[in-house]
Amino acid sequence: MTMDVQVENEIDPSPQARLIFEKEFMPHLDAMYNFALRLTNDEDDAQDLVQDTCLKAYRFIHSFEPGTYAKAWLFRILKNNFINDYRKKSRGPSKVEFEWVEQSFAGDDDPEPSHQADLHAETVNEMLGDEITKAIQALPVDFRMIIILCDLEEFSYEEMAKILNIPIGTVRSRLHRARALLKDSLATYAKSKGYGADTLSDLD
Amino acid sequence: MSMKKSCEHQKDCMKLIQRILDKEASPEEEAAFLANKDQCIPCQEGYELETSLKKAIKEKCTAKCPDELFARIKEKLFLLIILISILIPLFC
Repeated sequence: MTMDVQVENEIDPSPQARLIFEKEFMPHLDAMYNFALRLTNDEDDAQDLVQDTCLKAYRFIHSFEPGTYAKAWLFRILKNNFINDYRKKSRGPSKVEFEWVEQSFAGDDDPEPSHQADLHAETVNEMLGDEITKAIQALPVDFRMIIILCDLEEFSYEEMAKILNIPIGTVRSRLHRARALLKDSLATYAKSKGYGADTLSDLD
Repeated sequence: MSMKKSCEHQKDCMKLIQRILDKEASPEEEAAFLANKDQCIPCQEGYELETSLKKAIKEKCTAKCPDELFARIKEKLFLLIILISILIPLFC
């Protein structure tokens, strides 16, 4: 008796569940894949992560409240999946990354980066290739994550706080810090390539 | 009216600019900033930079889910549903 209750709770073969899955979840597949790709930096891992997320979403479809924002719910599952399974995979670099992030988060009242990156709108507009994507990929994962959630997926601060399970004040400060780092790295890159200078012909 | 070449509260302005572009600032904050922006060069430049950056991220970092992944997920789910539909009656 306990067994069938368990099975029934886990997977719901009812047409309603399938309908929710088709209508509410599937439309966010592109966004989920993109998020997974930015998190893992690997196409195969991203595919696995999305697939795991979808199957998990289906298993827990009972805890989804129809009418609420399915995308935020799915992203939260995806992010948890990533933290639990995929981040462990590459122990070496993620440990360094983790320490690095911890260090720079030493309290949320930590002073914000004081200097302004020497970067101009025109320089950003000149970057037509994959410079920006690469600079984002190189950010520590917590920063990468929040930039994608905000700038690409346009979640509100409140939604991001729920997805990431952090207070809204942390969302604000982390986002600000992430952008400061991104601008710094783009400014360094631009300088090395001579962007924004008179030597535009030196570009490769 | 002379333009301000440096902004004494630039750090706060940059935070506000980001909140405005993220649609998280109140209408009053936004109005106050926009009214001051015309007289302050660092604020103007900051606003333009953040706008360009946000737009560039939106345009450049988009990837589409591969069709085969879509098909694979549907297939797995279908199998799972069939399996469960067979299993549940067995236990009942």
